[in-house]
Amino acid sequence: MAEININPAEMVAKQEKRANPRVEELKASLRLLYKNRLALVGLIIVAIYYFIMVLDFAYPPWLGVPNLNSIYVFTRTYGIVQTPISPFVLSNGLPYILGGTQYNIALLPAMLGALRFDLGVSTLVVAIGAAVGITVGTVSAYLGGVVDEIIMRVTDIFFSIPFLVLAVAVTALVAHGAGGGLNGLILALIIVWWPIYARLSRSLALSTKSLNFVEAARAAGSSKARNIFVHIMPNVLSPAFVQMSLDIGSVVLIFATLFFLGVIPISALSAPPELGVLINYSVGQAGYASNLFFLGFWWTFLFPGLFLLVFTVAANLLGDGLRDILDPKLRR
Amino acid sequence: MVGLKTRFFTANGIVKAIDNLSLSIKTGETFGLVGESGSGKSVTATSIMDLIPDPPGRIVHGSVYVDGFNILSDLPKLAKIRVKSEKDVIIKRNKRAIKRHGYVLSGIRGSKVAMVFQEPYLSLNPVITIGEQIKEAILLHNRRSIAESLIKRETLNKEDVEKMIDNIMSQPDLLTRQAIIHDWCLDYGIPDLETPVNDLVNNSTDRDFIVREATEMAFAERENLNIDDILTARDYYKNVDDLHELNLRKLELESTGNEAGLAEIDARISDLEASLRSEFFSYRLRLKIMKRRYEKPFEVVAQRKALELLRQVNIAGAERVMDSYPHELSGGMQQRAMIAMALSSTPKILIADEPTTALDVTTQAQILDLIRDVNKRSKTSVLFITHDLAVIAEMCDRVGVMYGGNLVEEAPVREIFKDAKHPYTTGLLNSIPRAERRFEKSARLESIPGTVPNLISPPTGCRFHPRCKFKMDVCGEKKPKLIEIEKDHRVACFLYSDEVEEEPKEEVP
Amino acid sequence: MELRYFIIRRLLVLIPTLIGLSIFVFLLMWAYGPCNLVSVYYTVRSHNCAVIAPQEGIYLNDPVLTYLTYVEHLITGNWGIVGGSGFFLPQGQVLYYISIFFPNTLQLALAATVLSLLIAIPLGTYIGSKPNSAADHFGRIFSLSGYAMPTFWLGYLLIFFFGQGVSSFPTNVLGFVGNGLVNYHHSLPDWVSKTTLLSSPTHILLIDSLLNGDPAMFVRAVDYLILPVLTITYGILAGILRFIRAGMVDSANQEYVKTARAKGVPEKVIIKKHIRRNALLPTITVIGLLISSLLGGVVVVEEVFTYYGIGYLLIQAINPRSFEVWLVMGGTMVFALILVMTNLIVDVLYAYLDPRIRY
Repeated sequence: MAEININPAEMVAKQEKRANPRVEELKASLRLLYKNRLALVGLIIVAIYYFIMVLDFAYPPWLGVPNLNSIYVFTRTYGIVQTPISPFVLSNGLPYILGGTQYNIALLPAMLGALRFDLGVSTLVVAIGAAVGITVGTVSAYLGGVVDEIIMRVTDIFFSIPFLVLAVAVTALVAHGAGGGLNGLILALIIVWWPIYARLSRSLALSTKSLNFVEAARAAGSSKARNIFVHIMPNVLSPAFVQMSLDIGSVVLIFATLFFLGVIPISALSAPPELGVLINYSVGQAGYASNLFFLGFWWTFLFPGLFLLVFTVAANLLGDGLRDILDPKLRR
Repeated sequence: MVGLKTRFFTANGIVKAIDNLSLSIKTGETFGLVGESGSGKSVTATSIMDLIPDPPGRIVHGSVYVDGFNILSDLPKLAKIRVKSEKDVIIKRNKRAIKRHGYVLSGIRGSKVAMVFQEPYLSLNPVITIGEQIKEAILLHNRRSIAESLIKRETLNKEDVEKMIDNIMSQPDLLTRQAIIHDWCLDYGIPDLETPVNDLVNNSTDRDFIVREATEMAFAERENLNIDDILTARDYYKNVDDLHELNLRKLELESTGNEAGLAEIDARISDLEASLRSEFFSYRLRLKIMKRRYEKPFEVVAQRKALELLRQVNIAGAERVMDSYPHELSGGMQQRAMIAMALSSTPKILIADEPTTALDVTTQAQILDLIRDVNKRSKTSVLFITHDLAVIAEMCDRVGVMYGGNLVEEAPVREIFKDAKHPYTTGLLNSIPRAERRFEKSARLESIPGTVPNLISPPTGCRFHPRCKFKMDVCGEKKPKLIEIEKDHRVACFLYSDEVEEEPKEEVP
Repeated sequence: MELRYFIIRRLLVLIPTLIGLSIFVFLLMWAYGPCNLVSVYYTVRSHNCAVIAPQEGIYLNDPVLTYLTYVEHLITGNWGIVGGSGFFLPQGQVLYYISIFFPNTLQLALAATVLSLLIAIPLGTYIGSKPNSAADHFGRIFSLSGYAMPTFWLGYLLIFFFGQGVSSFPTNVLGFVGNGLVNYHHSLPDWVSKTTLLSSPTHILLIDSLLNGDPAMFVRAVDYLILPVLTITYGILAGILRFIRAGMVDSANQEYVKTARAKGVPEKVIIKKHIRRNALLPTITVIGLLISSLLGGVVVVEEVFTYYGIGYLLIQAINPRSFEVWLVMGGTMVFALILVMTNLIVDVLYAYLDPRIRY
């Protein structure tokens, strides 16, 4: 009995040594995510939205989602139906289960189509914006000196204009001028978004750069590019990823807002399938006379708005939770 | 301190930071607590004032007697802890009891027990001036005495001065005279007059002249305050103090279950509360509305006292320091300010939690001198916590050695260094680099093998046994009891006694 | 003394940002097409742009010279010309329009800022002092929903519930009265004709009505501010609340709080005096970001409520039917200037309040 002499403290130490720290870290993160119920709910909802978005491309005809070739356009016919179709009436057919809006647009497929458009474009904007921003920020931090100074002054300019105003102005002028329509809009939003990531990754890269292992790598003769991409970049990515998850909600929101405000011209007969546009249809652009919402057709206003709200709340919950999880300081 | 147990409930399990620790500190002595980092020294210190941050920590068992009163007497009421497993603990806090606990303790913290922390630059509030922070401490506990000294000063008359001067004249000894003047000036709230009166007495022998001059000076100090206000204030603060005192006693009675006494105390408390509500209603209202006006006399006195305290801890340019922010001072100065703050209410016991660790060597010596000075001058007991045995040898009367949350040895300081009993203590002593040892034959430093135990799952039996040179079979199974093997020398080790510490019956996580 | 030098230095740093800003705005409009800047081009489209443009200082092949013209416009103070298209606004100078519309925006933004601070500071103190309590979770969801709420949607929702058909909430009335512009676009609401202002020296209805000694008008002015302000406040409250909470939790774990407890300071005073003061200081630094989102909210809210401010002006100018390049640039410039100035004030305030900062 006495000869076996097990020492629990040593046992624990051995066990800890055996496990791969990265795997352990991931496991701990997942456990925390599971514990943080709100973030979990956010993750599930965001996943569902993305799932619907992907599913949309498969074109389920029974839902009446406009086909791939016309995803950028709601087809609507003037003057046929002035009174929107009521929701929850099965006899109107499945596409009209959430009712119809002005111009006889079926709300459910319109919303699903809008989701595909909104989420797809926003993801694209965030991804490209983040890629550009992270590269610029990291390189700027690594090179330092004049390059860094100039890049930071440029981001200063972008930060000195309120986001939405910047988006409005850039979209209006670039999209009109460059004549690109949607491409112009995407370009405009990327222009608006990259400085955020540039700033974030610059500060992260600066603090990483001063860490010993980067110094050691440099001393060992590692090249500049290798240093940036192998040693510094990975440390920038995870906070940037949190920022992306927070931003996807904001970009969708700004996107809808821009369309709602009519910054992208909504022509009389066609408009991109977009949640902001749907809400715009509902409340009318030209005053209260044609305001369907105030006339009592509440579903035309409520459903697209809630659809948007649920996504932005979920994205924020997820981003908030991810930040708590990835920030070791906040761990208990 | 009896049977203290503190736990930290973390996601990785329950940290048994202190396990069944008992020690006592006598009035006026300096007790040193020593051990490796992670042995629970600082947790002990914070436990004494129940300053354990909650969550994650809680004291789960024990009592701490300060000045005869057990500050943890309502401990079982504060929270119900249900342990499902090591990692899953449900704590149900009783908010009302915690609130009352906080109220009762706030009257004891700072006034009877004061604390000096390890890192002065973190422990001082960065956005409040030093003077303001010291004044806050003074005003928290001394309002009644301030009011009384204000009244004395304002109602001071010629007879009082005459009496004092006569008293001095009858004393031929210069030092006694100075002491009398010092006490008198403090008593009447006119510390500014100490030096002038001293000069006066030393330079003249004409009694009438001295009396006339002193009276004039004393009258000049008056500030024509509204004496009625001050009187009301005194009564008010007296009642507040009394209420606190009564609540203390109530807590005590509750823990002993004295029903009759409890009823009486309850009646007195509600009486006092009623009188505070009705009699002092207008005063409290006025205090709320015209705070600045009513607070001003107190502020002035507190300001003076704070200055005096700063001088007492040997801060040069105290006036300037009063108005500066913590970051503008050096580490030594910050620590002095901390000590000044701790001394603001002449505490019964001063807990110094590694006060010199963060300072450089020359400053360390000054701070140590200062603490010793405080200990000698005002008969304040000091609990001195450090990992530095040299400091212990320098400072303390008695020493306790901690290991893994347990007190393993306790003895007068000479005994520890001459005749340490516990294997851990000897190991600790042997691992100190000493100048003279280098020239001895066995020139190598000895270190204790192994590391500090993980307190989530501490070793069974004696917590030191995995690292012990003299390990026996029994060590891994049972826990040795701390027993007195010589006069004032207690050790917990099976080498010296077979007595086993019995776990308390009640289930404690 | 030191503070003054700090402000001067900070102002000097501002100069390159402002120059960069003007270049950026100029590049945008250059991308849009320099011909659109020519005022005559609007009225007489048949004119040859290349011939007329140089007369107005716009050189189609020379962006640098044209930029100088733009800077000249900025400095001499007309900021360009409005009204070529004549659809929305009568002809005039950009700065004139801004001077009329700006006070309304200022009033809206200030009211929203004050209200959100009034709510956020006590609320943040409360939930920050009890992390992980039920109140904390509620606050978290509340602030997140504010963050995520589509402002325009909320605005219409509020109008629907509180502003529609209820005469006491004139949600669709004008931001300024007594100006010719009102008659140009909208007919006056009933109550305006009953209580007409004699003069509008500040263009801020809240103040003008008081200056004219017209309490009824003042009440209406407050009335029509309520819903827009609430809408904006809900959006930015989230950010402030989040930062205050984080600051509270952070400083509650600091050593000096332990010191205060060891002194015997009652818990209430600890929270107010020791924790909150330290928590609010870093919150000041993020006000810049908050103002940015606040101004975004202002643009949307002004459009939704037809509130005559710079945001409304900007959106009208961007509308394809009444597109005004100079006005878009002017509006963008104004918003940027507000933000830059706020950041300046915030920096100075922080330096003034935090004793640790040496200028």
